[in-house]
Amino acid sequence: MDPQQPAEPVYYICGDCGMEIPLKPNDVIQCRECGYRILYKKRTRRIVQYEAR
Amino acid sequence: MGVPQDSLADPPKSSKNQRFRNGKQVHHMDIDKELLAAPIKSAKDKFALIPEFLKVRGLVKQHLDSFNYFVNTGIKKIVRANDRIVSGVDPSIWLRFNNIYIDKPSLTTDGVTTEIAPHTCRLSDMTYSAPIRVDVEYVEGSHDQKRIVTRKAVEIARMPIMLRSCCCTLYGKTESELAILGECPLDPGGYFIIKGNEKVLLIQEQLSKNRIIIDMDKKGNVNASVTSSSETIKSKTVIQMEKQKIYLDLNQFSKKIPIMVVMKAMGMTSDQEVVQMVGRDPRYGALLMPSIEECAKEGIYTKEQALLYLESKVKRSMFDRPSSDNDCKVTAVLRDIFIANVPVCRSNFRPKCIYVAVMLRRIMDAILNKDAMDDKDYVGNKRLELSGQSISLLFEDLFKTMISEVRKTVDNILTKPSRSSRFDLAQYIRKDSISHGLERTLSTGNFDLKRFRMHRTGMTQVLARLSFIGSLGQMTRTKPQFEKSRKVSGPRALQPSQWGMLCPCDTPEGEACGLVKNLALMAHVTTDEEEGPLISLCKCLGVEDLETLSAEELHSPNSFLVLFNGDILGKHRKPQRFATAMRKLRRAGKIGEFVSVFVNEKQHCVYIASDGGRVCRPLVIADRGISRVKEYHMQELNAGVRTFNDFLSDGLIEYLDVNEQNNALIALYEDEATTETTHIEIEPFTILGVIAGLIPYPHHNQSPRNTYQCAMGKQAMGNIAYNQLRRIDLLYLLVYPQRPLLTTKTIELVGFDKLGAGQNATVAVMSYSGYDIEDAIVMNKASLDRGFGRCILMKKFVVANQNYNNNTQDRIIRPSKDEVDSGKMQVLDDDGIAAPGEIIRSNDIYVKKQVPIVTRGAIRSGLKDSEYRSAFQKYKGPDGESCVVDKVALFSDTHNNLCVKVLIRHTRRPEVGDKFSSRHGQKGVCGTIVQQEDFPFSERGICPDLIMNPHGFPSRMTVGKMIELLGGKAGVSCGKFHYGSAFGEPSGHADKVEAISETLVRMGFSYDGKDFLCSGITGCPLQAYIFMGPIYYQKLKHMVLDKMHARGSGPRVSLTRQPTEGKARNGGLRVGEMERDCLIAYGASMLLYERLMISSDPFEVQVCRVCGLLGYYNHKMKAGICSSCKNGDNISTMKLPYACKLLIQELQSMNIVPRLKLAEA
Repeated sequence: MDPQQPAEPVYYICGDCGMEIPLKPNDVIQCRECGYRILYKKRTRRIVQYEAR
Repeated sequence: MGVPQDSLADPPKSSKNQRFRNGKQVHHMDIDKELLAAPIKSAKDKFALIPEFLKVRGLVKQHLDSFNYFVNTGIKKIVRANDRIVSGVDPSIWLRFNNIYIDKPSLTTDGVTTEIAPHTCRLSDMTYSAPIRVDVEYVEGSHDQKRIVTRKAVEIARMPIMLRSCCCTLYGKTESELAILGECPLDPGGYFIIKGNEKVLLIQEQLSKNRIIIDMDKKGNVNASVTSSSETIKSKTVIQMEKQKIYLDLNQFSKKIPIMVVMKAMGMTSDQEVVQMVGRDPRYGALLMPSIEECAKEGIYTKEQALLYLESKVKRSMFDRPSSDNDCKVTAVLRDIFIANVPVCRSNFRPKCIYVAVMLRRIMDAILNKDAMDDKDYVGNKRLELSGQSISLLFEDLFKTMISEVRKTVDNILTKPSRSSRFDLAQYIRKDSISHGLERTLSTGNFDLKRFRMHRTGMTQVLARLSFIGSLGQMTRTKPQFEKSRKVSGPRALQPSQWGMLCPCDTPEGEACGLVKNLALMAHVTTDEEEGPLISLCKCLGVEDLETLSAEELHSPNSFLVLFNGDILGKHRKPQRFATAMRKLRRAGKIGEFVSVFVNEKQHCVYIASDGGRVCRPLVIADRGISRVKEYHMQELNAGVRTFNDFLSDGLIEYLDVNEQNNALIALYEDEATTETTHIEIEPFTILGVIAGLIPYPHHNQSPRNTYQCAMGKQAMGNIAYNQLRRIDLLYLLVYPQRPLLTTKTIELVGFDKLGAGQNATVAVMSYSGYDIEDAIVMNKASLDRGFGRCILMKKFVVANQNYNNNTQDRIIRPSKDEVDSGKMQVLDDDGIAAPGEIIRSNDIYVKKQVPIVTRGAIRSGLKDSEYRSAFQKYKGPDGESCVVDKVALFSDTHNNLCVKVLIRHTRRPEVGDKFSSRHGQKGVCGTIVQQEDFPFSERGICPDLIMNPHGFPSRMTVGKMIELLGGKAGVSCGKFHYGSAFGEPSGHADKVEAISETLVRMGFSYDGKDFLCSGITGCPLQAYIFMGPIYYQKLKHMVLDKMHARGSGPRVSLTRQPTEGKARNGGLRVGEMERDCLIAYGASMLLYERLMISSDPFEVQVCRVCGLLGYYNHKMKAGICSSCKNGDNISTMKLPYACKLLIQELQSMNIVPRLKLAEA
C-alpha cells in the first residue's frame, strides 16, 4: 500500500436511504443507517470536461 | 398490466354518435326493445373491452396465473401426495408434512429477516426467492420414549418467485409504491430473477395428453396414439392398423400384440361384444375381421390363454425379480401402463375395453374416411405448458428426491448400533438440495428429471432487455417441445386454427421459422381446474354411466359419447341439449369460465375440457346474430361501474378454446352477423400479437414484411423501462425516444407510447447522391446534431474480490502517483475504483485489483505487497472514443465477497453504417451524412431528416409505410395522432387514406402527400413532386462501431498456428472456400499462396525424398534427418502450412501414413 498517506476512508452513498458512509478496505458493505447492502460510489471531485458532439 | 384508460383517445366520430345515442336512450328508456332492434350498432365501441381485458388478464397473465396456481394449489397437491417420510428400518418413526406454503420473498442474514425487493436482487446478483415453509409433525425421541412433535413454519427450501405473482412483493402495489421499490410500473413481470439475471421460462408447446390422436405413419399405416399422463405414470400407447390387422404397440411388450388378444386379456372374450362395442356397421365388422381371425389362429379364446400369450411378450428388465407373480406382471402392465389415463378400479377393465373400442372405431373411421384423420398441427390438439407446470414438475422431482434422501439418512442412523439418544427427524430435512436444484435448473434452462423421463434444454432464456417491447414479446413466445423435423412443412405452416390465438406474423426467420410462435393479444392459456365437481355435474345433466350400458348401446344412433379431459365419462342421448346446458352454466358463472364444451358431430362425441394449457380467447356472445353486449353495457364500462369480469359473469362474453370455436359461428362485425351467428369478435386486430401490433396498417403490407418487422422490432433501441437508469446492465438506450405519430390501438394498450423505441423522422422518398443504393439512407447532419438517432450504450463490468482457501483474498488498492502505469489510472479514486463521472478511454484501469500469488495450501495472513500480483481491470472499449464511468456499485455477493459493478456509458451519434429501420421491415444502413445546406427543402422550409430511395417500395410492396407517411403528415399538421390499427378501417381504429387526404388538403398540402421541393445544392425546384412526411424510424442495435474490425498481424491459435477468429480475439478475416474457388478460377495462384500460407501459417519441414515422411532438423549437426530412414541423405527442406503438417501427424497417429512425393517446381 501507499506508505506516505494513511488509508483514508472513502465515502459511499447508500442505495436506499442516501446516507454517506465512510468505508475502509475490508469493511462490510452495508449502510449503517438502514442496513441496505448496495452502496454507490460518489461522483468524482475532479473537474471533468465533456465533449458534446 | 395497468393501462390507464385516459390514453385511449376516442376516434373522432364516436363521440358524436354517442351523444346521439345517449339522447335516444334517455327518450326510450322504457322501450328497450326498440333499442335492441336498432339495426347496426357501431362496432368500434367494443374496443373498450380490450383494455379492460388486459387489466384483468394482462399480457403475461398466463404465466402469472400458472405460477399462482402452482404456488397456491399445485405445490400443496404435490406435498399431499408425498406427505410422509417413514423410516424403512423402524416404521414407527415417521414425519408428516401437514401443510406447505410459500412465504413472502425475504432474506435472512445473521438472524435478521428482511423483505427483499426484486431490484435489489438484480443489482446484487441474488436470486429473488422466498422461503417454502412446511408444518410438520414427526416422531421424536429414542427407542422407548417416543413422542409426536409438531413444528410450524419450518423452512425447507427457497423458491424463486415470479415477479408480479401473488407471492411477489410487487403484487397489488400501486405505481408510486412500485417506484419506491425501484420497479417500473409498465414492466409486465412473469419472469424470475436468478443470480441477478432475469430468466423467462418459455411457454412449451406440446401435443395434448390423454387424447386419442389418429394419424398416418411413414408406412401409411393408420395409428391411434394416446400419450397418457396420470399423477403416477406417463406412457404412450399406440394402436396400429398394419396389413389389415390391428396391433397394440406398447414399449412394455417386445412385439406388437394383436389387439384382440389384449381385449381378451382384459376380459372381453366374446368377439361379438367387441364388434358391438366398435359399432354395428358391417364395414367396421369387415375391418375388424382379419384381427379376429388372427387371434383365433393363435388359438386364444379365453382370458387365461391371452394372458399366457402376453406373458411371453412382456419385456423383462434386468432389475426385475424373477419371482412368483409372473402373470401379475402382464395384468400390471395392462392395468398401469396401457392407456394409463383410464383408471382401473377393483380390476374392472371394462372402461379400458371401451376406450380401446373407441380407439378402434376412430381408426376405422379414418380408414373409411380420410377426413377423420387428426391434424397434429391443429392448435386444438396442442397444449401450451406454462412456467407453473414446468416448475411444478421440477419441484415434485426435487421434493421426492429430498424425501428419499432423508429416508436414507434416517435409515442409516437407525441401523447404527450405538446412536445418541436424541433423535430429531426434522433436522435431517436438508433445505439446500431443493433450493439449489430450482436455482440451477432455472439458470441453465436444462430440465433433467429422470423421474419423469424429461430431458429438455433451453427451457429458460435471459430476458432480452433491448427494448421494452422485445422483453414483452419474449414473454408471449412459445417454443415447440418436439425436435425440429426439418423436412416436414406442416408444423411450420400457418394453421387456420391459429386465428386469434397465435400471432400469424410474429415468427423468427430461418431455422425456427414457424415453430417458435407468439401468443395473440387476447389469447389466454388455461390452468388446471378441479375435475370432481364437473364430473358430477355432467352426471347430473344426464350423462349415463358406462357401467349401466351394454356394448350394443355404446354407439346407438343419436347418442353421443361424453369425454371429459380425454376420459370417457359416459354417453348422452341429447348431446346438443347437454352442451347447451353446460354452456349456460358456464355463462352463468356456475362452472369455470375456461371449461370448454365441444360437440363433435363427426365423431359423435361431446368433449368437455377443463385441463390446463388450452389456448382460448374471449368473444362476445350473440343470440341469433344480435350481440348481447349493448350500448348501455359499454357506457357502464366507460363510466367505470362495469368491469370485464362483470361481462363474463353476466354472460355477455365468454372464453372459447380452439375446439369449441368449431361449434360457433363467429361474425367479424356485428353488421355481418346472420341469424346463425353465435358469437361476434371483439376486435379483429387482436389476432395479432404484441410485436406485430406495433406495425401501422399491417393489413396493407406484404405479409413477410410484417414478419421481418417483428424480428427487427425486438432489436430497436429505445426506452427499456422507467427504472432503466437505475439498472446496471448492458443497455442500449435512445437519447430522445418519441412515441410514434401514427399509432395503433395495440401500441397504447401495451404502453409502447410511454416507452417508445424510435423517432419520427421526416422522410423524403427520392434519390439523392448515389449513396442511397441498396436501401441505404441519406441522413441530414443537422438532424443528427439535434439528436436524431443518438443513443447511449451502457456496459456493465463486474469485479469480484475473491477469498481463497488459504485465508488470503484479493485486494483493491489505492493508486500511487509514481507507478509505471499511473497514466492509465487517472480515473481511479482513493479506493482504487474508478469514480463516476470520469472520462475513461480504452486500456484505462478501472479497478486496481491484486491477486495473491499463492492461493492454495497452508493458511497465511498478513501478506506483503510483493506477494500479490496485479490483476488490474482494464477497460477495453472502442479506440479513440471517450466513455464515461456512469455508476459504480459495491455489494457483497452470495459468498460474502466484495463485488464491484462498474457501469460505463458511451454516447453515440449515428454514423455511416449504422442500421435503421422503419416499422415495415424496411431496414437500411446510413449511407452518407449530408449537410442540411445540401438537403432539399420545401417552400414551407421543411427539410427532411433522411432521404430514402424510392426503389425500396416496388418490390417490397409496403403500402402500409406510405399510408404511415400520409397519416403522419396529416397528424403533425393537424395536431392529432392518427391511427393505423390492423383491419381497423371498418371499426374506425385506422384512418382511411381518403380521410387523411382530406386533412392534408385542409392543412394546405397536396392530397397525395407529395411536396414541391427545391434542391439544396442548386436551389432549383426538383423536377418531380416528392413524397415527403414523417415515418417512425427505429435505430437498431447493430452499429458499425461494434462491428468494425481490421487486423494486420495478430494473435494465432496455438493448435493450428492460424490467425484467430472473431473480433473479440482480434482475429483475421478468412479467405473461405468460396473465395478460394474464385481465386482458383481466376488463376490468381500467387495471391492464393500468399493468403493461404504466407500470411496464415507458414512452416518449414524436412521431408525425406525416399520414404516421403517428415523428418526433423538436428541443430547440432545442422542438417535435416529422417527419423524412419535414420539418415539425413535425402532430406529436402520445404514450406507447408502448419495445419497441413498437423494433418499429416494426426493421420499418422491413427495409423494412416501420408507420404509426400516431391518434384522440382
